[in-house]
Amino acid sequence: MGYGGRTMVEGTASELASDSEADLLERLRLGDEAAFGFLLDRYHRPMVRLARSHVSTDAAADDVVQETWMAVVRGIERFEGRSSVKTWLFRILVNRAKSRGVKESRSVPFSSLDDDSGWTVDPDRFLDDSHRWGGYWSAPPVSWRDAPELNALNSEIRQSIGRALDDLPAMQQAVVTLRDVHGLDAAEVCVALDVSEANQRVLLHRGRSRMRTVLESEFLESGLVS
Amino acid sequence: MSAARDIRCVEFVELVTEWMEGALSDTERGGVEEHIAICPECTIYLAQLRETTMVLGRFDAQPPAEPARERLMAEFRRLHAQD
Repeated sequence: MGYGGRTMVEGTASELASDSEADLLERLRLGDEAAFGFLLDRYHRPMVRLARSHVSTDAAADDVVQETWMAVVRGIERFEGRSSVKTWLFRILVNRAKSRGVKESRSVPFSSLDDDSGWTVDPDRFLDDSHRWGGYWSAPPVSWRDAPELNALNSEIRQSIGRALDDLPAMQQAVVTLRDVHGLDAAEVCVALDVSEANQRVLLHRGRSRMRTVLESEFLESGLVS
Repeated sequence: MSAARDIRCVEFVELVTEWMEGALSDTERGGVEEHIAICPECTIYLAQLRETTMVLGRFDAQPPAEPARERLMAEFRRLHAQD
């Protein structure tokens, strides 16, 4: 049975997405290429981005990700399934990326919180404290309820989301991707990325808030909401 | 007398994720929930965060570039052919 064409993998993707963890694991153990392709397609790019934040070059990041996939392919037999496959995948990645970073003697110590401006909504959108209603909205958000894009993502919105995710600082991207795009729960993400619960929440807060801002701009610009 | 903290919109937008995660103290949680009850704009903001999560859930991550993908698939095939 040939798996050369992309369409084969796309055709089974929705089936694989609703597969249980146990089914996915079983398929991988049996050498099911569609199952492996499904993992590759979903996680490869976020993995590259995350690896890149630990090492000095794009090439090093690609190496780390390649090594991670090889470790997964070779380790799937012994993997006991105590965590999900995706948690395990990211755990291997982060460990390898950190080792590689240490070998490269990166002079800047890696901080899991990464640098950020600190606020998540432009302070200009609130009345300042000299005002009687200081701290309340001056430029409040407008409901998106009528935006059709909430139900069906058009290619423009997809591209904006893709770009915006790529622009997030690496650890924010990792958390938002794992939590909101891929639906891992908080505990799984903490294990996968080796961050504390508190840090995970901060990263989620900053990343998700930024994505809200991006969507808000999209909807306003395309006149979908007034 | 309520022990809940007095929360304004500018504080709400910073506490909202922790609230959604169930990680706030009772005092802060009370303050946030009171604020949601009286503030239609922050109610909209909260809805937008939830809608953002929903939209992201429908976003398919981009697959790796074809040469890299084929290389990895070949490795997978090779390893399984050895079984």
